[in-house]
Amino acid sequence: MTIADLDSGQRATIKRIDLSHPSSFRVIEYGFTPGQEIEIINKSIFNDPLAVSLRGALIAIRRNDARCIEVML
Amino acid sequence: MSIKKPQEPLIILVGPPNSGKTTLFNFLSGKKYKTVNYPGATIEYSITKFLNHFDITGNLMDSPGIVSMVPNSPDEKVTVENLIEHPEYGKPSVLVVTIDASQFSRHLLLAKQIINCGFNVIVALTMNDILEDKNLTINTDTLSDKLKCKVIKVDPRTGTGILELISEIKYTLKQERGSNINHIAFEEADIISIYKDIEEIENTVLHHTNVKKSDLENANMGLFIKGETKSLNRPDNLTMKIDSILLHKYWGIFIFASVMGVLFASIFWIASPLMELVDSGFRYLSDLIVSGHNHHWFSDLLSSGIIGGAGAVMVFLPQILILFFILGLLEDSGYLARGAMLIDKPLSKLGLNGRSFVPMLSGFACAIPAIMAARTITNKKERILTIFIIPLMSCSARLPVYGLLLTFLLPGKFLISGIILSLIYLFGILTSFVVSSVINKYQKTFIKVEDNSSFIMELPVYRIPKIGNVFKNTYDNAYQYIRKAGPTILIFSVILWALTYFPNNNPEIKNSDKMTTEQITKLIDAERISGSYASELGKFIEPVMKPLGLDWRVGVSLIATFAAREIFVSSMALIFKITDTDDNLNESLISAMRQARIGESNKPMFTTSTIAGLIIFFVFALQCISTIAITKKETGGWRIPILQLFIYSGLAYFFAFVVVNGLQFLGVN
Repeated sequence: MTIADLDSGQRATIKRIDLSHPSSFRVIEYGFTPGQEIEIINKSIFNDPLAVSLRGALIAIRRNDARCIEVML
Repeated sequence: MSIKKPQEPLIILVGPPNSGKTTLFNFLSGKKYKTVNYPGATIEYSITKFLNHFDITGNLMDSPGIVSMVPNSPDEKVTVENLIEHPEYGKPSVLVVTIDASQFSRHLLLAKQIINCGFNVIVALTMNDILEDKNLTINTDTLSDKLKCKVIKVDPRTGTGILELISEIKYTLKQERGSNINHIAFEEADIISIYKDIEEIENTVLHHTNVKKSDLENANMGLFIKGETKSLNRPDNLTMKIDSILLHKYWGIFIFASVMGVLFASIFWIASPLMELVDSGFRYLSDLIVSGHNHHWFSDLLSSGIIGGAGAVMVFLPQILILFFILGLLEDSGYLARGAMLIDKPLSKLGLNGRSFVPMLSGFACAIPAIMAARTITNKKERILTIFIIPLMSCSARLPVYGLLLTFLLPGKFLISGIILSLIYLFGILTSFVVSSVINKYQKTFIKVEDNSSFIMELPVYRIPKIGNVFKNTYDNAYQYIRKAGPTILIFSVILWALTYFPNNNPEIKNSDKMTTEQITKLIDAERISGSYASELGKFIEPVMKPLGLDWRVGVSLIATFAAREIFVSSMALIFKITDTDDNLNESLISAMRQARIGESNKPMFTTSTIAGLIIFFVFALQCISTIAITKKETGGWRIPILQLFIYSGLAYFFAFVVVNGLQFLGVN
């Protein structure tokens, strides 16, 4: 399960980052690292991009980029 | 070998976007600064001296916001390289890293990377009030120990902590510690392990503020916080409340469209009286020179070539100022990032990015600042694609041209003209979508860049915009426009002047007895241009104009528009020998156009079909030498601008041909 599969308002903990995904480096730089708690705050029209609460900040991220962030509920 | 002067120490402000860097820079510099280029790059940065009362001799430099020391775009690469050693100002003595306290763990990544590289670092912790609103605070002493560098809480809006920061900068400068700076290539694993460190640091330095009971309870609370920090540190509450409306799944995009509609309208409505003012000012100046020195070629060069050219540059300044002022307000309030998020999905379908939106919107004022604004797009393919379609946004220089042509087509019918004008804008936008998706589909052929498309950006906390920052941003953009577009337009304006002035620079006028001096002057101008190099050039390209139902006279005007599109109107007036004063220039030009015949025949040249063809021509054609110059600069080569020139000129010609001949085939003249 990845962040892209979550609904608005759902919380989860990051399990691992898929390093084969081309966006993985950028995602890690923005602070999506294993063990962090995240929450889906908003979804834009067409459900993409997502606004995610992470480390006290709101991060907008495309679903496609979010697919490399594996989470557990 | 040149002997290097002993340089003043360099102090650089570094920080992630939205970390309060610019506000701090303004406070330290007193807003007096100059904007300079990073050598060999498109990035602008501000450099200044410290305000006198801080008593620091040294250069203070602001740098573009970066998320990490690993560059993600060509601009970021230059930023990082210049932190290590600047070609002109040398190695920095001190790096002041700004960190948003409420974004502590994310922003600390950059600080940790910079410290690891071996710079002399002072950390300036900003936005502490936002963190305090969440009942959290950071223990700076512990943080200083952990990071092995000084950490100071500052608030550049009130001046809190600034003196401490200044004395720390002085102290570091006095130590003259030779810095041993290494460029480290951080890998994914390094970043993750830095974040692991940061999480440990966060657990020790981040505290609850409303715990002020006994030590025992305090200790208990500390334990409690250790486990719960992450969920305690949620995004700003007010921001999330506002976002539940502004980022609402359905209303969000509606609100965004309204905001942009208002912005768009104000670019035109507020700017138009100011533009007229600038225009008449330059015209007055130009008349003043001509009346002083009658018909000497030099006075004509001054008035038509140089002052006219300068006027063509300055006339767009009001629009650019208003556009960047409002965009600055939206950006500083935090809304622009939301806009980019809302529009990202539709734009990504076209191979663009949410960040493409602002440059595209700016394109309606002027393509030059718009193309420069595309720098914020980190993905190279998306940046080039955005730059590629910007010329299709109907820039304000086309407005006087459409104005003339529509008045010819529909005299007195303002409502219908207005509707058609909107349709022309819409047509430009729709075409840009088509061009974008086609180029995107064949990107390997056209752009030759393959880059992973991504959209990840921080949505900053909503704040009241800081007017100082907004003014600085507006000024920077206006300055760049004048410096980049100015010389090109000016030079071309002089070349075009020479083409229309020589060799027949002193024509004889017969039967001039019954005419006023003014009419004679205009007639001389008109005679001169009909015997000029420009008219020869026009006659040379006449075979190209014929299929569009037009002759060399329009051809000359179209060549003249390469300096600036709005020159079309004045150049047509010259060629059609309009001897009226400027006030009813449009009117007399239109009646002259109605009488114009093709060659020796009796066929009128300007008909519904040829005018419609001309309008279509202006929608597509890339007739702007400044746009070509700036595109070459921003894309780093001639490939893209030349492609644009060929594709857009080809489309312009093809569609104009289809429209003219199609309408005539249908019986519309």
